[in-house]
Amino acid sequence: MVPDFFQFYFPTKVLFQAGLSRDFSNELSLLGVSRMLVITDSHLLKSGMIEPIVEGLKLGGVEKTVLFSDVPPNSELTAVKKACEKGMEIEAEGILAVGGGSVMDTAKAADILLTLGGDLVQDYSGAHTLTSPLKPLIAVPTTAGTGSEVTQVAVILDESNGVKLSFLDRYLYPTIAILDPELTLSMPPKLTAMTGMDALTHAIEASTSLEANPYSDAFSMKAIRMIKDHLAKAVQTGSDLKARSNMLVASNLAGVAFDHAMVGVVHSMSHSVGAVAHVPHGMANSILLPWGMEYNFDVAKERYSDVGKRLGVKTQGMAVDEAARAAIEEVRALRAELKRACGLPDRLGEAGVKESDLPKIAQLSVEDGSSFYNPREVVEAEVLETLKRAY
Amino acid sequence: MPYFENSEKLQEVLGGFFRMLLDDPSIGQKLKESKLVIKFNYADPNLSITIDCSKDPIPLTFNDSATKPEVEMNMKADTAHRFWFGKVNLLAALTRREMVAKGPIPKVLKLLPVIKPAYDLYPKYLEQNGYQNLLI
Repeated sequence: MVPDFFQFYFPTKVLFQAGLSRDFSNELSLLGVSRMLVITDSHLLKSGMIEPIVEGLKLGGVEKTVLFSDVPPNSELTAVKKACEKGMEIEAEGILAVGGGSVMDTAKAADILLTLGGDLVQDYSGAHTLTSPLKPLIAVPTTAGTGSEVTQVAVILDESNGVKLSFLDRYLYPTIAILDPELTLSMPPKLTAMTGMDALTHAIEASTSLEANPYSDAFSMKAIRMIKDHLAKAVQTGSDLKARSNMLVASNLAGVAFDHAMVGVVHSMSHSVGAVAHVPHGMANSILLPWGMEYNFDVAKERYSDVGKRLGVKTQGMAVDEAARAAIEEVRALRAELKRACGLPDRLGEAGVKESDLPKIAQLSVEDGSSFYNPREVVEAEVLETLKRAY
Repeated sequence: MPYFENSEKLQEVLGGFFRMLLDDPSIGQKLKESKLVIKFNYADPNLSITIDCSKDPIPLTFNDSATKPEVEMNMKADTAHRFWFGKVNLLAALTRREMVAKGPIPKVLKLLPVIKPAYDLYPKYLEQNGYQNLLI
C-alpha cells in the first residue's frame, strides 16, 4: 500500500569490496581533502586495524592526518569536543570514522563543531537545525551493525547532566560509506550475534512502522532475507568472508530502511532495558524482537506474513495468521541457534534484568519516542505483561 | 489565506487550547511530570507561546523572552493548526523544515504519546468555543 505521503532521500555513496578500506582513492581524491581527522576507538587502534587504513589515505591525496581514539562505548559530549580539537590542530578538511555506532555518532557531532564552530548543545541540538553542508565524512563500519554509516542521526550523551542529545539532520548523512567485510572478521561471536540481531530488528520494525513506504520496504525486506541466510554462519564461523559480507550489507540496508521508516515498540522496550539495566542494545533487541512482534500481531500480521517469506517460511497456502505466527517462530528459532552458538541470552532475566526493574522499564517504554511510530498504541500495562513474558 | 488573521486571534485560539490541555487531568499531569520548558515560535502571524512544565501550576506565557526554554519548536501558525488535528506527519515536517526543533529531542519525543489524545480534543475545543470557521 502506498501511503498518502512519503519521502526518500539517500545522499551517501555506498561502496562495498573486501579490502576497500585500505584503498578507496578513486572516491577519496574527488573530495579534495588533504588533511583528515581520523576517529576510532582504542580497541580498534590496538588491534592494528587502523594503521593500514590511514596509510591508504595517502593514495587519495591526504597529506596530513590526526588521530582521535578516545571514543567511549556510548558517545559523549566531552569526546566530541576533544575530537574536534584534534581536528582543529591540523585544520582538518574531512573526517574518517572507523568503528561502530559510537564512533560514527562522535564523528557526526564532531563534524558539526569542526565545520560550524559554536556550542554543540545550544546551537545545534535538535532536528534539522543545520543550514549548510558539513565537511566530508567517510564512514567505515566495523560491526554489522547499527547502520549508522547511512543514517542522518547522532545521539550524544551530555555527561554533565545525564541528558541524551539527538542531532537529526540531512547534513549528517556521511558522504561515503565504505563497506569492507574484512574489518568485521575479528568480531567475536557474541558481538556478531548481538549486532546482527540489532540489524534484523531494524529491518523488521521498519517494515511495520507507521512511516513504512515502498522504498524503505525494499531495503528492509532484502535485509531480512540476507540476515536469515547468513547471521548464524557468521557467528559460528567468523572467518567466513561470504557470511560477513552479507551481514555487513544487510545491516547497511536495514540502516537505510529504519532511517526512513523509524522503528517501534521493540526499540521502545530495548532503549528502556538499556537505560535501567544496562543491557547492550543488540542483546535487548534480540530478546525482545519476537515479543514485540507478538505485541503488534493483530495490526501487523499481513506484514509479518511477508516477513515470514523472507525468513524462509513456506507461506503458500497458509492463512495470514498462520504465516505471521510462523514468522515469529522463525525469529525464535534463529535466536535459539545463536544461543547454542555463542550463549547469547534469550531472556531478560538471563541478561541481568531484575524482575523489580520491569515496571520502570514499562513506564519508560511508553515515553520512548520510538513508540510514536509503532503500528499499535504502546500501553504501559500491556508492555509490562510483554516484559514479564520475556523475563 | 492563513487560518489566523492576526496574532491576537492565534493567541486566543491556541493559548486557550493549550490551557485546556494543561488543565486536563491526564495530559496535564504527564506534562507536569516531564518538567519540560518548551517554547513554540509561530510565524504568519507571529507569536510565541512558552509552557513551563517545571513549575506548579504550569505557567503559559506569550512572547516571553525571560523564560529560558529547553526546547524550541519553530513553525508557521498554519502548520501548528494542522498539527493539532493530527494532520501533520511529524517526521516529514521536520525533514522538510516545516518544523524546526531545537533542543533535546528525546524529551520532545517522550511527549508525543502523551499529546496524541489532543488530536481528538482540538476539533471539539474549536466547536465548543465558537471557532467553527477553523475546522478543517
